[in-house]
Amino acid sequence: MSLAPLLESRRVVLCVGSGGVGKTTTAAALGLAAAMQGKRVLCLTIDPAKRLANSLGLEAMTSEAQVVDPARFAEAGLAVGGSLTVMMLDTKRTFDELVRTYASSPEARDRILGNKLYQYVSTSLAGTHEYMAMEKLHAVKREGKYDLILLDTPPTANALDFLDAPERLVSALDSAAMRWFIEVFQESGSLSFNLLAKTAAVVLKGIGKLTGGGFLQQVAEFVTQLNDLFGGFKERAAEVARSLRAPDVAFVLVTSPAPMAIQEVLFFAERLREQGMPQDAVVVNRVNQPPRSPTDALAAREEAARLALGLDDDGPDRLVQASHDEGKLAELDRRNLAPLAAALGELSARPLRVDVPALPYDVHDLASLAEVARHLAS
Amino acid sequence: MTTLLDRRFHFVTGKGGVGKTTITSALALSLAARDKRVLICGCNAKERFSALFEAPPLGHDVTLVAENVWATNIDPGRAMEEYGQMILKSRTVSRAVFDNRYVRSFFRATPGLYEWAMLGKAWFHAVEPSPDGTPPFDAVIVDAPATGHGLDMLRVPKVIVDVVPPGILRRDAERAWEMFRDERQTGVVIVTLPEDMPVNETLELSEAMTGELGLHVSNVVVNGMIPPLFSAPERASLLAPRALDERTRGGVAVAAGARRALRETIQAEALAKLGKHLSSPKVYVPLYFGGVNGLAEVREIARRLS
Ligand SMILES: Nc1ncnc2c1ncn2[C@@H]1O[C@H](COP(=O)(O)OP(=O)(O)O)[C@@H](O)[C@H]1O
Ligand SMILES: Nc1ncnc2c1ncn2[C@@H]1O[C@H](COP(=O)(O)OP(=O)(O)O)[C@@H](O)[C@H]1O
Ligand SMILES: [Mg+2]
Ligand SMILES: [Mg+2]
Repeated sequence: MSLAPLLESRRVVLCVGSGGVGKTTTAAALGLAAAMQGKRVLCLTIDPAKRLANSLGLEAMTSEAQVVDPARFAEAGLAVGGSLTVMMLDTKRTFDELVRTYASSPEARDRILGNKLYQYVSTSLAGTHEYMAMEKLHAVKREGKYDLILLDTPPTANALDFLDAPERLVSALDSAAMRWFIEVFQESGSLSFNLLAKTAAVVLKGIGKLTGGGFLQQVAEFVTQLNDLFGGFKERAAEVARSLRAPDVAFVLVTSPAPMAIQEVLFFAERLREQGMPQDAVVVNRVNQPPRSPTDALAAREEAARLALGLDDDGPDRLVQASHDEGKLAELDRRNLAPLAAALGELSARPLRVDVPALPYDVHDLASLAEVARHLAS
Repeated sequence: MTTLLDRRFHFVTGKGGVGKTTITSALALSLAARDKRVLICGCNAKERFSALFEAPPLGHDVTLVAENVWATNIDPGRAMEEYGQMILKSRTVSRAVFDNRYVRSFFRATPGLYEWAMLGKAWFHAVEPSPDGTPPFDAVIVDAPATGHGLDMLRVPKVIVDVVPPGILRRDAERAWEMFRDERQTGVVIVTLPEDMPVNETLELSEAMTGELGLHVSNVVVNGMIPPLFSAPERASLLAPRALDERTRGGVAVAAGARRALRETIQAEALAKLGKHLSSPKVYVPLYFGGVNGLAEVREIARRLS
């Protein structure tokens, strides 16, 4: 199977999955594959390994769009008819840009950007990274400069977080809870409890006891400032959430053969189904391959002699051992992947599935990236 | 010198999938083998402890999973509530606070609060006295979230100390932070793999833990070590460029040998880099070709940790 049709028919491809399974690698390799098909490709990446970034010629890891120099492809012997642009996501910067765009006045903008709580909120409010990734995606998609955009997603502890991010962020900032706190504080001026409804007073006193009084006020002030953004921001978030559900968007679920990663992908597929979203493809990355045929010490000895490998006496036995070890790893992966195969078989609209072999080295240069690309979309 | 087994509080962290949960479980068994009462704290992740200890599924309640080993998969919402009840003393007040739906969504939206609830609960288990005055656990191990989230979690008490005005929350965060920064009591255990990128990440993570946060990295566990089959000259010979033909029985063996030689080379380089840049003591755990499926493997790994 191949993901080539997906690259042909969609404008946006999102790579999701749990941490470490190969999302960044898959996004970059799919980007390369599409560029080789002649497309103008943007790869929005989160956390590329420094060596991978370097091998693409991105010495400076900035969040500016950087076009990979065609000379790099030529050096690696790759025929790339299109172009590959790489952009690093910068959560804080994207959030800052949002604040600049939607603040009602320069004063309001500066108040927010200068708030002590803002720096924590802008990077660690539940779902901020995920939301800002989508926000950026939405912005570049509207620019229309690219035929295909690949989105690498943040290493969420839980891949599901990604889908809910816009809703969660909006409801966090604009929830009834926040309004309630704001009202309570506006009514009470400076927290004079006797003016409040009795339960509210109990609740606030309770929390105040935990956090120390002044803190709540600090939070309420900050929320009031953020509230200033809500009009524009809420619409924007809804728009971003909608654009994820567009038919030109594909979801690629990336997993390794590890049982927990597979479980995560199955959960995610289920959630996509519930929300009426497509589960377009599953990439099983780093699958250990079984030996192509059995082997034995005698054959190994003859071949080692023919190639003049110059191994020690028991060398051929160890060659056989290496092959057996590969067989055991492949068998473990096969066992672990059985539930995935069964679960995918039950889906009515069965997603594409592509397995990428475990390479004996990291995917940190164009040659190995091209190798992964070949497995994904030949 | 304080060793891994003397400390009361351990954070086990590292990149996703490197073996944090496995190493946490093994560390618990090796502490328990020294007659320590150990608590494992999972951080609201899909838990794998029950599989490793061959015990029933694990939830928020502290459960005995092996001799001298208890485990909990902390539910941050419930941890918050327990914390509230303890501080507010009155059940009625605490109910009023925590049953208030506005308060609930406020808590959900406040960055770091759930992380603190989990971390705070783990800390509390390490210091709370039993009714008879002795601590119920001699050691607490936190199976922390993967790299970035693990760092975020450990930053929380520091942030609370920085931004929250004096009060109970601040007081507890200060106490916990003090214990976390005391290297006789607390150690960060970083789990990694003997490969290039995981090692680079480990160096960065270790730098952030010690530099930015001032914590002590007590050990680096290199998990998934492939037992070397070939000597350095043999590796060089196997890695000489040549076309590999896997259609014959002999070709299959040589190709497997060449791939193994490459992995062994990468492993040797990764270990050299780790040794050169990181002085924390290292523990090496082999790759189990048949996987880590239950107590048998975890026991074996535990022996290597002690
Ligand atoms: N098929 C593969 N074979 C060998 N190594 C791989 C393969 N795919 C990814 N890797 C390596 O695994 C590591 C993690 O991959 P990465 O794409 O960064 O994962 P994620 O973005 O999901 O955290 C990287 O060092 C990468 O080079
Ligand atoms: N030394 C090892 N040899 C073989 N497999 C291992 C080893 N350590 C961990 N694993 C396997 O790797 C996967 C991830 O391990 P786990 O401990 O759950 O990692 P984490 O908690 O870091 O995500 C599991 O399937 C586990 O069985
Ligand atoms: Mg990544
Ligand atoms: Mg784990």
